[in-house]
Amino acid sequence: MSLVAAKIPEIQLEDVEMRYQTETADVLALHQVSLDIAKGEFVSLLGPSGCGKTTLLRLMADLLTPTAGNVIVAGKSAKEARLAQKYGIVFQSPVLYDWRKVKHNITLPLELMGVKKTVREEKAHELLELVGLQGFADKYPWQLSGGMQQRVAIARALSMEPEILLMDEPFSALDEFTRERLNEELLSVWSKVQSTIVFVTHSIPESIFLSDRVFVLSPHPGRLSAVVDIPLPRPRTAEMRNSPQFFELIARIRDSFEGV
Amino acid sequence: MKGNSLLRSRYLPLLVWICGLLAVWEGVSWMLLHVVQTPLAQSKLPYVHEVAATLWKYSGTLLKEGGATFGNAGIGFLIGAAAGVLLAVLMSMSRIIERLAFPYAVASQMIPILGLAPIIYGIVRDEQVSRVIISGYITFFPVALNMLRGLRSVDLSAVELMHSYAARPWAVYWKLKLPAALPGLFSGLKIAAPLAVTGAILVELMGAQHGIGVIMLRNLYYGPSHTYMFWSTVLVGALLGIASYWIMTLAERLAAPWQPEFRPKGGDR
Amino acid sequence: MSSSSVQEPSYMAAAGGDGPSTSLITTKESIYSDPKKQKGRRHLTKWLNPGVLLPLAAGVIFLLLWELEMFHKLFDLKKYQLPLPSAIWEAMRENYSLLLSYTGYTLSEAVLGMLTGSACGFLIALAATAWPRWGGGSLTLVAALNAVPIVALAPIMNLWFGDGIGSRAAIVTATTMAAMAINAYKGMSAVDPLALDLMHSYAAGKPAVFRYLRIQNSLPYVFTALKINATASMIGAIVGEFFFSSRGLGYLLSNSIKVAKMPLGWSCIVLAAVAGVIFYLVVERLEKVFIKWHSSQRS
Repeated sequence: MSLVAAKIPEIQLEDVEMRYQTETADVLALHQVSLDIAKGEFVSLLGPSGCGKTTLLRLMADLLTPTAGNVIVAGKSAKEARLAQKYGIVFQSPVLYDWRKVKHNITLPLELMGVKKTVREEKAHELLELVGLQGFADKYPWQLSGGMQQRVAIARALSMEPEILLMDEPFSALDEFTRERLNEELLSVWSKVQSTIVFVTHSIPESIFLSDRVFVLSPHPGRLSAVVDIPLPRPRTAEMRNSPQFFELIARIRDSFEGV
Repeated sequence: MKGNSLLRSRYLPLLVWICGLLAVWEGVSWMLLHVVQTPLAQSKLPYVHEVAATLWKYSGTLLKEGGATFGNAGIGFLIGAAAGVLLAVLMSMSRIIERLAFPYAVASQMIPILGLAPIIYGIVRDEQVSRVIISGYITFFPVALNMLRGLRSVDLSAVELMHSYAARPWAVYWKLKLPAALPGLFSGLKIAAPLAVTGAILVELMGAQHGIGVIMLRNLYYGPSHTYMFWSTVLVGALLGIASYWIMTLAERLAAPWQPEFRPKGGDR
Repeated sequence: MSSSSVQEPSYMAAAGGDGPSTSLITTKESIYSDPKKQKGRRHLTKWLNPGVLLPLAAGVIFLLLWELEMFHKLFDLKKYQLPLPSAIWEAMRENYSLLLSYTGYTLSEAVLGMLTGSACGFLIALAATAWPRWGGGSLTLVAALNAVPIVALAPIMNLWFGDGIGSRAAIVTATTMAAMAINAYKGMSAVDPLALDLMHSYAAGKPAVFRYLRIQNSLPYVFTALKINATASMIGAIVGEFFFSSRGLGYLLSNSIKVAKMPLGWSCIVLAAVAGVIFYLVVERLEKVFIKWHSSQRS
């Protein structure tokens, strides 16, 4: 805990507030959220739907601008961080371009940055190996299963070797078995790339299994209601899911939801 | 093995339909001529074999005139399609242009555009140019509207992804929006292609020197003695329309092969 | 997107075997499905909305430039080639009784042919759904018929049905059949497989599946086809009248051009456009009445 806090903050949010104006009402999506995420840390944003966890992630990605407060990413404003390509993002759906082969989907960000073709091809194969999709380089997205498509999306997010990986419920559309396997794979990828990961989820076990810390959010208005440290040792293994400590953590997080 | 696959092929029913239709045609033609003894029986429904023979005999002329029609329709079609794509891109980029042009584009779909053919011919008085103009005009709006729909159909997350890569506006269009709009563009092109041919033939009927419409009209006026030739020209006109559609379908398969309909397996009905 | 997906079946798809395509007209719904816009239009301020003002102003400026002979100077045209809006208005006022009766004549051809053609198309779709293997071929043939230029149909229909109203009605029938057949077929076959299983669990026979499920499901598609056909039928009727008719807007139009009465020809176009739009709007209105349940009709 104190060890984690002592590290250099990679992402900092200060009194962030987010209001939406809809036709009928004024919605306060996020209220006074402040948090620090350390370099190299794996954190989860956990909460029920409507708690603003995805909004929070989008603020970090500069896909939204807060109505009040500061978002600092890699020592810059969120916008500067985006323009400098400091983060890679993975959405709930893979968002692969149908007309591009798998390898060309992966190297899309590099193409936009003007990286040379030979370098891109090399990088694509390296990344496919990393996510365990060797031999699928020349397939089209529709020829892949949902889990494989999401792995391509992760590879794409890693292609420009970002310092930060933002993941918005990336596995929520997959079945439980695939999801658990991908959780383990994600951790093994993370151990190799050493980036900071912010992971949005509504699954308590998933957040515990993956994270160093879990930020628990509550709805109406969306706010940070608890921060739970996960002292499980790394590397994490599938067996840990059955350990008493794991169940204890689940109970603790469940208790931390106010009135839910 | 081969015969077996033909029997099970999805084209078999179509083949049977076409053959059956031709047989019925031939039969009815015979009935009109010999049993009912209608006046002008061969003009109303000529023998299929006679029409086929005429088609074969005059294939040179028919090809030449059909080619003239098709060529002019094609030029107009390409110009109209290019203009339509340009307008769609402009509309997707600028709210003002969209507000100006969109209501008129939609309204133009509700009015009988082909009715303009004689007027345009009246203004231009040049068969080549007016064929090109009519074909282009007919192509323009369906292409613009469908292209715009394609551009709008782009997944919001895909745009956000581009945003997260700090992609420049032209890159967003070139890498994402234009490829994503291709299916929409092709639905517009497939609607417009036969219309462009129809428009070109219509202008020819208004008075022109070359084209399939000209010999169609000429043989109609020559009366019953030219009935087989007249029917041949009608068939060529129909084939031109169908061919234009098939060319667009083929082009779509080449240009946008990732669409669900073109995937092997699934959707076999 | 999802709300409009059902609104965009094609009428040419079967000709290519399976290619997707969109109707000319339904594009309007998909783009106007922005709920805010629709709500905004109902407000009192709707006339001050730039979405209305801007195109209106553009239209007025266009007419003004035309009236002030700007286009004539630009394209080197004479007034007898491109009549002024005021002259067209004058021609409409002078001949309004003739124009009105001809509009009625043309419109009745269009409606008659459109109803016949749509009915035939619907029957073909029924057959093609009930017996997919053999009925499917008829769909392809009908789609091919749709690609046949109307102008090639006109002389043949004239030979078959004389030069009365029947000839044009037949042309319109031929040109409207395909859109209905293909759209209705799509609607009848695009049934939720679970809904089919449900009918199956009720031990419902083929007729019952059609009555309670397929036909209901096809209604949005049917109206899409009707809207396409509303426009197509006006085109068919007018083009049909160009050649072998002694009455109707198309006849008057081509005749006026021949004798160089350009303003009268243009007023035919104006009336045809107005009639076409009214026909379209009537079908759209009927659609609202008949399929209230469909998502495209909810605001």
